[in-house]
Amino acid sequence: MSLFQRKKLHMVGVRSGALEQARGRIVMMSAVFVVCYLIVVARSVDVMVIQGVMMNKGEEVSLYEEYRPEEKQKRRADIVDRNGVLLARSLEVSSLHADPKMVLDPAKLAQDLKYIFPDLVYGDVLKKLQGKNRFVWIKRNLTPQEQEAILQLGSPALNFKFEDHRVYPHGELGGHVLGYSGIDGQGLSGVEASFNELLHNAQEPLALTIDVRIQHVLRREIAAQMQKHHAKGGAGVIMDVRDGSVLAAVSLPDFNPLDYQTAQDNAKFNRVSLGVYELGSTFKIFSTAALLEKTGGNMHQTFDVRESLKRGRFRISDYHGQKRVLTLPEVFMHSSNIGSALMGEEVGTEGLKSFYNDLGLLDQSKIEIGEVGKPIVPSPWRDLHTLTASYGHGVAVSPLQLSSAVASIVNGGNYVQPTLILNKKSLGDDNKRSMPDQKLRLISPEVSHRMRQLLRLTVTEGTGGKADVPGYLVGGKTGTAEKPGVGGYNKKSLISSFVGVFPSNDPHYVVYVMVDEPQGIKETYGYATGGWVAAPAVKNIIASMASILKIPPVEGEPRIEESLLRYVKTKEQIKEEKKLATY
Amino acid sequence: MIKAVPTLDNNLNFLTKIQRLSWALILFIIISAGIGFTALYSAAEGNLDPWASKQIIRFCVGMGALFFIAFVDIRWWYRLAYPLYFLGLILLVVVEIKGHIGMGAQRWINLGFINLQPSESMKIVVVLALARYFHTATPDDMRNIRFLFPAAMLILTPVALVLLQPDLGTSLMIVMAGITMFFLSGAPILYFIIGGVLVALSLPVAWGFMHDYQKQRVLTFLNPESDPLGSGYHIIQSKIAIGSGGIEGRGFLEGTQSRLNFLPEKQTDFIFTLWVEEWGFLGGLFLLGIMGGIFLFGQLMAQKIRYSFGRLLTIGITVNFSLYVFINTAMVMGLIPVVGAPLPLISYGGTSMLMVLVGFGLMLSAYVHRDAKLPRM
Repeated sequence: MSLFQRKKLHMVGVRSGALEQARGRIVMMSAVFVVCYLIVVARSVDVMVIQGVMMNKGEEVSLYEEYRPEEKQKRRADIVDRNGVLLARSLEVSSLHADPKMVLDPAKLAQDLKYIFPDLVYGDVLKKLQGKNRFVWIKRNLTPQEQEAILQLGSPALNFKFEDHRVYPHGELGGHVLGYSGIDGQGLSGVEASFNELLHNAQEPLALTIDVRIQHVLRREIAAQMQKHHAKGGAGVIMDVRDGSVLAAVSLPDFNPLDYQTAQDNAKFNRVSLGVYELGSTFKIFSTAALLEKTGGNMHQTFDVRESLKRGRFRISDYHGQKRVLTLPEVFMHSSNIGSALMGEEVGTEGLKSFYNDLGLLDQSKIEIGEVGKPIVPSPWRDLHTLTASYGHGVAVSPLQLSSAVASIVNGGNYVQPTLILNKKSLGDDNKRSMPDQKLRLISPEVSHRMRQLLRLTVTEGTGGKADVPGYLVGGKTGTAEKPGVGGYNKKSLISSFVGVFPSNDPHYVVYVMVDEPQGIKETYGYATGGWVAAPAVKNIIASMASILKIPPVEGEPRIEESLLRYVKTKEQIKEEKKLATY
Repeated sequence: MIKAVPTLDNNLNFLTKIQRLSWALILFIIISAGIGFTALYSAAEGNLDPWASKQIIRFCVGMGALFFIAFVDIRWWYRLAYPLYFLGLILLVVVEIKGHIGMGAQRWINLGFINLQPSESMKIVVVLALARYFHTATPDDMRNIRFLFPAAMLILTPVALVLLQPDLGTSLMIVMAGITMFFLSGAPILYFIIGGVLVALSLPVAWGFMHDYQKQRVLTFLNPESDPLGSGYHIIQSKIAIGSGGIEGRGFLEGTQSRLNFLPEKQTDFIFTLWVEEWGFLGGLFLLGIMGGIFLFGQLMAQKIRYSFGRLLTIGITVNFSLYVFINTAMVMGLIPVVGAPLPLISYGGTSMLMVLVGFGLMLSAYVHRDAKLPRM
């Protein structure tokens, strides 16, 4: 091999090495670009597919998005009363917010906004628009006109947020029954809460048994009595005794469901179904019915109420003291605690307790709202409790429970369960709670009739006289209970109530009015009892109901209580007896 | 032992030259230009004027230049490399002295029939000159700083002039094209690492020399939402438009973001945005596929060229082209800061189109004459 040749060989080696290196560099360069290429492709997947397609769903893009009809269907269903009057509806309202970064001319925009919303303060708006935030609220809940005006401004900084607002056209009226729903559209109390799912999904409005007109009357009359007697609170129920449907349920003080966030707890408290009270003498209806049903008691049965009843270390005495031997109707119409206690004693602890239980007084009411109070029942139930429970002490129930129990007594003797839902079939699966238990006879029709007579007698001759409405045969029973306080019952703070039924020959409605801590006034001679405070309200309510519901007066005004009158001594007779007694 | 070197016919006849053209590359160039015409037609709301018609004419002229350059013997281009380079430098100086004000930067020179942008042509001639310089380099030369220094000056002189214009984007592109040439020629990796470290260290200094608008662009890139109506506007609008295209796009002439003028510069730097808004993710992938195809053909062509000058020229031009594609698409999708980089062959712009085609012409010339013998010294 010549030198020349060797040199040439070397050159070839160098060249091919350089070539290989160059190839290597090209491959590396290509690799870099393949990576760049993949980055760009990955980014396009990110921007176009992930951000563009997947994330844009459900995001607010612009006001020019097409109107989607299915969104309208998503709106929460209406609630209406038994006549179809609107009680609650969801409306879409817009709220205006701004992105200060997008504001071209803050001073000009603030001026324009001030023109559209005169109640805004120019300086405040300007400050907001010049702020560093990317999001400031300008105005909540715009009217359509305001929204239109904002759109006309055409500022890219302004945007709307659309929210469903639940509106309650009747304000406070029925607020406790309807309840309210939160900002997110979830029902938080009342029917709104208990039928939250149904309202969320339903297309049809949910019809309640409430009659707004009757509701208004009930509220008006209770409020009037509360004001007159400087009372703390009040409650009332009007119920159809045949099916337990609630035409009106009022708890005072009340609140506008729109302002539920600012409403006080006292106003939000539902005294009709959540509050439980020792309701006093209205319970004599139940103890008397128990006696008639369970022991076959009769009208000429007598009860000695001359002396206080001593049982152990307890003493039961009468408020309207008759201090004589009374017949059963007299015990009822004069509302003798001693007499009722004796009746309860005769029925016996087991009998009375099971009777109260059957009436639904010892369990939570099965009404279709969540605000249901648990009754306070003595435990263990001693014989003494049987005596007190006979005249409405020692057992605390809600006004709603009492009303439905009275309905069961006067409707012929069949158990009714209170309900707020007009058409149970509309509830679908949601109706388990509101399906009444199978028809349950509590007392015989004869005893029911006797009870109607006794209630009517109490209005015509006894403590409930102020409740009578000519032509409508109002029957009823007063109740005046001392509220339990520290160290015993407080004579000054009362629960004064009246339960009325009409027409008492064939009752359709029970009207219950309760006033919490009324004060005696001059007009009532200082009395704050059920007969003075609640009975007049019931009278006004029944009078109004009669005209609203177009109930004709009962023809000839039959005196259904007449047959009882022979068991009732007249004042002259009583005077005569007392005279004889002094001899 | 010695491989028989086939006889090289340095004087190919015209028909052979036509046969030896890479027709696949030419097809992809035409498809790309077609995408550009379509997009420009849409950008003008369904009109050929003002953009599409001019672009078509420029493309036709450019294709003429491409074929002419491709058929000229590569040895001519080898000889003309330095003269062309110095001509480019002179044009840059002329622009500097007597330039017209356009968009706040002196970048055009009015030759009567065309507003020439010398900085655009510089990208090509720098690659050409470097390919010429490195053609004779041995591996020992590549490790020799004294050999590499003149090459570095070949890059830095035009870069300095372009920076004076000022045009940060183009100067960066020239630098990157130059670095690529160094890399391909086999400069030691260590030098690149040292260079990278030096650049990183000098960044704070460079920041001080940067114009406010350039600083703003970088800051905007880091957080485009910081100034949605100002410098962040481009990129936010661009991303909205791209995103609104979805998978299949809004359809031809249906792009709202671009056509309702939400997107500025839609016919030039942001034409990719307009394209994908109307043709969607699939259209975007198609475009990127074509562009990737051009890169691939460049690589394949380089493999077949038997002399360094041609290889370096081909790869240099391909890389330059692909760098633009990457920077432009990455920019409009918010991956990198907004720099004035058109999408080659597609964006509206005379000089850009012409220079890209001239570049491909040189590539094809090298490919057509791939077996030519070039002097080693």
